Amino acid sequence: MQQPPPHAPWHPNRREFLYVGLLGTVGMTMSDLFRTEARAATARQLGASAGKAKSVINIYLPGGMSHQESFDPKVGSPIEYRGPLEAVKTKIDGVQFSENLKETAKIADKITVVRSMTHGEAAHERGTHSMFTGYRPSPAIAYPSMGSVVAHELGERNHLPPYVLIPNQTTPYAGTGYLGSAFGAFALGSDPANDNFSVRDLTLPGGIDEQRFAERREMRSVVDAHFSALEKSDALDGMDAFYQRAYAMISSKEARAAFDIKAEPAALRDSYGRNQAGQRMLLARRLVEAGVRFVSLTYGGWDHHDNIKAANGRLMPNFDKAYAALIRDLDERGLLDSTLVVVNTEFGRTPKINGTAGRDHWPKVFSIALAGGGMKRGYVHGSSDATGGEPDSDPLSVEDYAATIFHQIGIDPDKTLMTPGGRPQAIVKDGHVVKDLLA
Amino acid sequence: MLRGFFVFSFALPLFAAAPALKDVKVFPADVNLRTRHDRQSIVVQATYADGVTRDVTAQASYALGQKSLAKFEKFTLTPIADGQTELRVKFSGRTLVVPVKVEQSQVEPPISFLNDVMPVFTKAGCNTGGCHGASRGKDGFHLSLFGYDPDGDHHRITRELIGRRINLALPEESLLLEKSVNRVPHTGGERMKPGDELYRTLLSWLQAGAPKDPPAVARVVRLEVQPAQSVLEGTDEAQQLSARAFYSDGSDRDVTTLTAFMSNNDAAVKVTDAGRAIAGLRGEAFITARFEDQAAGVQVLSIPKNLPFTWPAVAETNYIDTAVHAKLRQLRLAPSAVSDDATFLRRVHLDITGTLPAADDVRTFLADRSPTKRAAVIDELLGRREFTNLWVMRWAELLQIRSADQQVQMSAKSALQYFEWLEERIAANVPADQMVRQLLTAAGPSFENPAANFYKVERDTLKLTENAAQAFMGVRLQCAQCHNHPFDRWTMNDYYGFAAFFGQIGRKPGEDPRETIITNSASGGVKHPVGGKDMAPKFLGGPKPEIAKGTDRRQVLADWLVAPENPWFARNLANLVWAHFFGKGIVDPIDDIRVSNPPSNPALLDALAAKLVAYRYDFRALIRDICNSRTYQLSATANATNAGDDTNFSKSAVRRIRAEVLLDALSAVTGAAEKIRGLPQGGRAVEIADGRTSNYFLTTFGRATRETPCSCEVRMEPNLSQALHLLNGDAVNAKVTAGGLVKKRLRDGQKTPEIIEELYLRTLGRFPTATEKEKLQAFFPEGKNPETALNDLFWSLLNAKEFVFNH
Repeated sequence: MQQPPPHAPWHPNRREFLYVGLLGTVGMTMSDLFRTEARAATARQLGASAGKAKSVINIYLPGGMSHQESFDPKVGSPIEYRGPLEAVKTKIDGVQFSENLKETAKIADKITVVRSMTHGEAAHERGTHSMFTGYRPSPAIAYPSMGSVVAHELGERNHLPPYVLIPNQTTPYAGTGYLGSAFGAFALGSDPANDNFSVRDLTLPGGIDEQRFAERREMRSVVDAHFSALEKSDALDGMDAFYQRAYAMISSKEARAAFDIKAEPAALRDSYGRNQAGQRMLLARRLVEAGVRFVSLTYGGWDHHDNIKAANGRLMPNFDKAYAALIRDLDERGLLDSTLVVVNTEFGRTPKINGTAGRDHWPKVFSIALAGGGMKRGYVHGSSDATGGEPDSDPLSVEDYAATIFHQIGIDPDKTLMTPGGRPQAIVKDGHVVKDLLA
Repeated sequence: MLRGFFVFSFALPLFAAAPALKDVKVFPADVNLRTRHDRQSIVVQATYADGVTRDVTAQASYALGQKSLAKFEKFTLTPIADGQTELRVKFSGRTLVVPVKVEQSQVEPPISFLNDVMPVFTKAGCNTGGCHGASRGKDGFHLSLFGYDPDGDHHRITRELIGRRINLALPEESLLLEKSVNRVPHTGGERMKPGDELYRTLLSWLQAGAPKDPPAVARVVRLEVQPAQSVLEGTDEAQQLSARAFYSDGSDRDVTTLTAFMSNNDAAVKVTDAGRAIAGLRGEAFITARFEDQAAGVQVLSIPKNLPFTWPAVAETNYIDTAVHAKLRQLRLAPSAVSDDATFLRRVHLDITGTLPAADDVRTFLADRSPTKRAAVIDELLGRREFTNLWVMRWAELLQIRSADQQVQMSAKSALQYFEWLEERIAANVPADQMVRQLLTAAGPSFENPAANFYKVERDTLKLTENAAQAFMGVRLQCAQCHNHPFDRWTMNDYYGFAAFFGQIGRKPGEDPRETIITNSASGGVKHPVGGKDMAPKFLGGPKPEIAKGTDRRQVLADWLVAPENPWFARNLANLVWAHFFGKGIVDPIDDIRVSNPPSNPALLDALAAKLVAYRYDFRALIRDICNSRTYQLSATANATNAGDDTNFSKSAVRRIRAEVLLDALSAVTGAAEKIRGLPQGGRAVEIADGRTSNYFLTTFGRATRETPCSCEVRMEPNLSQALHLLNGDAVNAKVTAGGLVKKRLRDGQKTPEIIEELYLRTLGRFPTATEKEKLQAFFPEGKNPETALNDLFWSLLNAKEFVFNH
């Protein structure tokens, strides 16, 4: 059930009648009223640094990366808390990272590490939902992912899809929620780490030249017109939107080239690492450079209930090399200030090593990294307590985290969007931009 | 005051012709006052001829029979002396009589931790997941989430950090109270006010010495919320709700003020703490009420005031239309017109058989003048093999027929055997109750009795329990594994009691390593994680059956589940079938029925379920009713009233064709068969036995992987990859060429207009319109070989929304 569509005859109820009557005398309409409210909200949340980021690269480490074995080693704690790994010095005075982040330690002066991320969701799906949408899961409403909100608010650039997932649909919460399906991500369906990587169907099939494709498009529009005039639905609008985007991509050489990782110099590809972490991050850089607004990539499975030393040792070094290379590469190209790189995960892991030499789920405090896009360089935000069990200072909530990211890409987190049921929803509910994070 | 004046002056002319009063109801219909502090509030609801309801509690007049027995004040009855009398409620010329019984009026009831104190924590929100109900509590104090562990909560309040939380010497100074009223800083702020009911309850309990209940304390067995449905006309129109709890000792209690209410659509209807539902924007909402571990819900509709609406005189083919129309009238929605023959034929082919009608089928049907031709084609399609294929696929999704990563666990061979077993049953029209019974009670070697694969697909007792509840009852129990379900009635006791039915399954390897022998081990069980008690089997939402030792518990479960009076089984199946034909369940998602996600049209679901039982679970018969209903045959085009409706079946839903059916359709209309792993050449995607089998097309268009029984596995939303694949991929371009249809027709000497017509009929199931014919002429200049252009037209038709969608 929805409100009547805007073109339907308006039958004011008594209350509306009254309001409009009163406003009419001072020369305002209902929509003016709403606009005024929107402006007030804008003034409140969008500060001078808003919109510094032109794109976001989200590196999602699914399963729950341990904070102790990454950005928040518990150096002085007893061994059962400290865990099996040593720590290394970083470019920031007095700040140490876990030993498997040696390369990242060298670029620590370019990034912000948050050691006080916190929420209460200890189940993978609920934690992931929180970190992807900025909302706790609700039984009554499906929230859009941050990428879909960016697609909705900012739209496309350079004929490229605004929101791209590498290599596949990352999580069910990377979806469009209550927003129309047209704001869904483009999932590559192929891993750039594979030698035979290519994004399917970007080029015209053999035997079909541009001339013939143009004719096909024209004929299709004839065939499609009858039905378009008759039926309306979100899915139909979605399909139309994706056809328009597909046409644009197919006919733009530059757009298609954004997906061609082989065009990167071999030495640079080596520096990122010829593996899933390296090539996915490199492609992400290539995509944002070409105009994609929000790239979300996944790497590894970090649900290390058992033998965390071995599991971390298998995954982290490749991440470390790739991430450091990405930050350097962006910085050298002058893109770091306009690209917000978010390393996140659904939660951290228990303070104490468990009976199988691993750690279990722990959402009370964990670490994420934010770099570029107007974030401070060489800064550690917040802290966890001595055992990594609770935030000790400056806890960062999911809402504030989301509000800050939206703010940096130029979206007012207080803005309300409308669900299909006519229910207004804030992009982030009660989130505050965390000024301390900003340069 | 100003507003009041305006409202008054505008409102006057609007009360012209009020619809006639149809019914008046009093809630509750009988009043039982037991013990001294008992009370019962009264709510009166009037229903008018146009379906609108009004809360007329304040407008009704009341007369109490014997004033010496009870007091009636502020619409609430309180006891004075034992005896029986009646309350006469009069409204608009009608009188209703409510019997009033007063017992033990001089007895001071002892305060109960379970029945008085625990509800305070739920009502005040103390034990929610964001507060002390979080798995590790909040700020050092933990309560069980929504009160799943009263003993533990009592312990934590009274024994943990002794002396901190309660002060029995000076109860008012207990931290529990100080925090709750924010007298000392409380992260959660002020949850109650000094002296209010919640506060007084906590205080009395502390004054009584913070006692624990005796073991025999009465427990809530049921929560009733009334009125079951309200239709509020106009913003700010309100309806007071009444909540009553029934206890194991036969008593009842007015718990309206102690119940936590929640609306699932605040924009349409919001609900106050006191249980007052208030209308907002046009729409519908479900109000969920939670008291102790019980939950119940009611439906509240909000419609604009004075909406000009006349119900159109539309025919009703059967009970389906009756139920759908009744709801539409309440909402002031008119159903769309009936679809034209071509649209109907394409839709019914896709829905019943998963195939498109052949060009000649369309021609014959459109030329047929028989008034019963739609019913005839439905009957014919229900007899086709493709109907069986489609439903075998649907059941294979429910049963998760898929080989495992570890072939020993579930081999491709086992998956195929299981699939074939299913196919035999659906082809032979074995009633669904018998089929499910065979699955649940399956025993023996899985090669000989492939139904035993039900216990091979999932070996974990708890996951098996969850899957069975989701597939056969449409209930998602997962939450209740660790705490009482936050949005439903399920408690951990329900969960582990139900799991106990699956607690005695024996599995041993057969001779072939891929085979498993399923037995009734007649020993073992399931333990409750809080307290570690071995759970006796208990039906979900039902009683604890007596089971003799050694009896196969699954047999007892199957008897209960598929019994005609079981409230879940037939409704779930009926809803599943309905969703297939309408793209949306009456409960939606279909496998997530809960108090906070009830059916959009309960009468419709009840009617379908009753029919399914009457048909002895022959779902073909139910499908025949569905497809013959006017509701199913509606056009997708909206009228002036129903553009915004997507939950009440007032028009046909435009649905993308699901992955398998779309791929099969592309193969069929082009004549270029697809080679699918594990199937013979020409095998169709709907016939895939093993959920592990897929290809790029099927994955991109959202085929279910069958890793879970969840209906959400089938993904229908459009995306960019799909568009690119249809435009540039081999699914369309290569098939058009490989099938060579256009070439063949030209070779046979057919003319361009004939071929254009056939392409339209094959793909869209209709003739080209005059406009289309005229516009297409430009692409076929005189003297030019039309082959390329015809192939391009074929390609265009397959890329049209009208092809990709069922409408």
